[in-house]
Amino acid sequence: MPHDSAPDRSPLDRVLDLPPLAPVARRVASLNARYRHHGATAVMERALHDPEVGRIALVSSFGAESVVLLHMLSVMRPETPVLFLETELLFPETLAYQRDLTERLGLRDVRLIHPDPEALRARDPDNSLHRRDMDACCLLRKAEPLERALSGFDTWITGRKRFQGGTRAALEFFENEAEARIKVNPLARWTKADVQDYIQNNRLPRHPLVARGYPSIGCAPCTSPVAEGEDERAGRWRGTGKKECGIHFVNGRMVRGPVPADAMPAPRPVLVRNDEHAPQEDTADATPAPQPDAPVIVTDQGFAADDWSHPVTPLAEFSGPTGPVTAIEIGPEDDPQLLARHLPEIDMIRVRFPSFSDGRGFTHARQLRLMGFQGRLRAAGPVIADQYAMARRSGFDEVEIPAELARRQPWPQWQRRANWRAHDYQSRLRA
Amino acid sequence: MYDYTDFDAAFVRERVAQFSAQVARRIDGSLTEEEFRPLRLMNGLYLQLHAYMLRIAVPYGTLNPRQMRQLAMIAETWDRGYGHFTTRQNIQFNWPKLPDVPKILSALADVGMHSIQTSGNTIRNVTADHFAGAAADEIEDPRPVAELLRQWSTDHPEFQFLPRKFKIAVTGSPNDRAVTRAHDIGLRMIRNDRGEPGFEVIVGGGLGRTPMIGPVIRDFLPKADLLPYCEAIVATYNMLGRRDNKFKARIKITVFENGLDKFRALVEERFQALRPQFGGADQALLAEIERAFAPPDYVQKPLAPYHAALTDPVFRAWADTNLSPHKNPDYAVVSISLKAHGETPGNASAAQMRLMADLAETYGHSELRVSHEQNIILPHVHRADLPALHAALKPAGLATANIGLISDIIACPGMDYCTLATARAIPVAQEIAQRFDALKLEHEIGPMKIKISGCINACGHHHVGHIGILGLDRAGVENYQITLGGDGTEDAVLGDKTGPGFAYDEVTDAVERIVRAYLEMRHDPSETFLATYRRLGPAPFKSALYQEADANAA
Repeated sequence: MPHDSAPDRSPLDRVLDLPPLAPVARRVASLNARYRHHGATAVMERALHDPEVGRIALVSSFGAESVVLLHMLSVMRPETPVLFLETELLFPETLAYQRDLTERLGLRDVRLIHPDPEALRARDPDNSLHRRDMDACCLLRKAEPLERALSGFDTWITGRKRFQGGTRAALEFFENEAEARIKVNPLARWTKADVQDYIQNNRLPRHPLVARGYPSIGCAPCTSPVAEGEDERAGRWRGTGKKECGIHFVNGRMVRGPVPADAMPAPRPVLVRNDEHAPQEDTADATPAPQPDAPVIVTDQGFAADDWSHPVTPLAEFSGPTGPVTAIEIGPEDDPQLLARHLPEIDMIRVRFPSFSDGRGFTHARQLRLMGFQGRLRAAGPVIADQYAMARRSGFDEVEIPAELARRQPWPQWQRRANWRAHDYQSRLRA
Repeated sequence: MYDYTDFDAAFVRERVAQFSAQVARRIDGSLTEEEFRPLRLMNGLYLQLHAYMLRIAVPYGTLNPRQMRQLAMIAETWDRGYGHFTTRQNIQFNWPKLPDVPKILSALADVGMHSIQTSGNTIRNVTADHFAGAAADEIEDPRPVAELLRQWSTDHPEFQFLPRKFKIAVTGSPNDRAVTRAHDIGLRMIRNDRGEPGFEVIVGGGLGRTPMIGPVIRDFLPKADLLPYCEAIVATYNMLGRRDNKFKARIKITVFENGLDKFRALVEERFQALRPQFGGADQALLAEIERAFAPPDYVQKPLAPYHAALTDPVFRAWADTNLSPHKNPDYAVVSISLKAHGETPGNASAAQMRLMADLAETYGHSELRVSHEQNIILPHVHRADLPALHAALKPAGLATANIGLISDIIACPGMDYCTLATARAIPVAQEIAQRFDALKLEHEIGPMKIKISGCINACGHHHVGHIGILGLDRAGVENYQITLGGDGTEDAVLGDKTGPGFAYDEVTDAVERIVRAYLEMRHDPSETFLATYRRLGPAPFKSALYQEADANAA
């Protein structure tokens, strides 16, 4: 099996070429301070975009409550890698649910993480290890494969919550994992009712076993239903005293250590893609071929590579121009009014669209133009071709889209809306 | 009536072409299902329980006979031979096939119609008083303003991806027949002390799961400021509205959570920036539109046939309930009931649509209206023609004399059609209508608005029903909660909750107990249910509702 020792980086990351990150402890402290008063969606939203977080993946069991984070991810950045531990002892319902959710939510990069087949043959040839040594089984099927899969990431997102009690009662949003990695727990402060509300309000499908009395779902041999009044996780490793599988910390003690990537066989992620038009990975020996994944700039003239080479400062960190060229990034929650005094000195403003269905950026653009901004105005994010005329009419000069979107919606689809001055009721009324 | 200009016609054709391309791009994978969804919704195409549903806009409820005939043709060609008129003055077809939709949209464009922004998180079809231009109590016809708003909101680049849907209603009468206080923006046309025309602007009203009566954000807005002010409201909402929870995303919650004063200050600030952008072209266009809505050429002829017909009790009963005063005393506003006892409220067959189109042409200066109470209005009928009109309606099942009475029920499609519904609504309406028809009590009861919603989203407006019925799902069993004393007019009031709900087969009995209590307690037949309820309060009605239920159970 070819051994790819290069970290397994998402397409977006390969392009961004991130600067070196500060030590984990310092970043965790700064992140916790920054997001102390935020809610789950804000933490999730920022975690997916904050440069201090680095390369990020969501680890999901596709269990009883997993749909919450998967849904947030699908809305905010569906191309984010999702790591799913396929222990090969899961309920068939879990596997069906995983396929169904991936399809329905449009998750673009779900990776099935299998145990290493050689280790499996050597240590659990007849799938009975869980009866003899549960911890060894969890290590073989969960902890080791996860560690390999995470080796290319700086940060991972989990769905743990304080209300789950026990070892989880004092969870912070951001945790320092042995100085190696950051762990983000966006739902840390959610209550059971918040989870229920979110699932109900967004009409999300539940794991089929929830209705059959399983509030927490792991591998089939070690999960049993829970009676009314029992702790949610009482059905996990019932009667053994075991509470966690070992992929998370217990009492601050690390039960799983980071393993040097080259000491382990290479991970064999199986890419599950919704996007039929993306090149299919060879699942047998996955050595992802380099792809032209730089974002694409769309103007009335067509597609082009990004010609902007200067740094772009987030609005929150901007206090005034520092160099000859100034560019600002505005997020959906930002107030462009803060730039009022500096507009003549700003060369470019990049307005970030967290998803195509969040229309705040259009009003941002119009407001900036009403305030008198004359510089280059860019919409950045998964804006679709059908929105090009809206973007132009709102005052944007150009749209920056991810490479994946540009492949799926090539220039002719945008060109149809490049006639954005035609059929415009509003400009007629404003004259 | 307003006819499409070349600009309107070209716009609608372009939109049909865009949507056809979007359907093809969905099929070839260029658009994901998630991306396609809002695009199909902003063209009125829903995915319902059994099939797609296409909702077609009838701006401010106004139709000409040619348009009505085209709707009949669409019903027969691509649907099941009927259409459903809705509480927002639209028409829905419940069974179109996706590949046929572009053809339907083309057929609509042929007669100056579309389905744009009848769904999705955009500014929806603007509604107006269904008696506009005819009502005796009208200050000014609201339809030119509604048409101006239609043009302004259509494909507005900032407002196609709002936090949630956005509904605007306009009324030109002091008697509010457009339920303006239950809309995201409600506009009441008024004149200030100097006699200048303008609007009282209401913001953040709504029904749904959190019903709110909208507060007034501007006591008097000069007519020429309308578009920049509305644009300021929607822009403020676009930035401030919640996007983390769809049930808290409507502007009523935004206004409530931020406070009216803060919201108003932000709107005024934005308005100051926007006002100079409007250089008068909108007012010039409005003047043109107003000319298009000039009153018809009224005719003068003897009223003898009308007076003679009043001796016929069947005609008399219909005239008593289904006619409203017209600003020309020789004329009447005719309501054609789509609530025949036992039929689905708001449904009309293709044959009925054609007949109504013909009659509008013969007797009604070629105008029809859709009311939010799901009936069809002929706004201008000379009283001398009423007997002939009535005689023509009768054999088609369109002469039911029940406008404003207990069987003139508003009901949402309910669980029979809608994916959101948690209970049936239409069969409940049918059973109530048949019960009171059999009891022969309908005319004795007098004005009574029953409104039924099949889920908490309140599409049947139950909160403002004199008797409101809300169907819920309680552990798999349909359960109906009753509210009393709601009112959707200018005095808008939300109904009071009575107590525990009723099973599906108990609802009609419960309504009958309330009605019989009213008949016993009213001063005299001139005291309406609502007036009696306001005089006595909920207590005696609740005890009638529950004591008897307890007695039956005992």
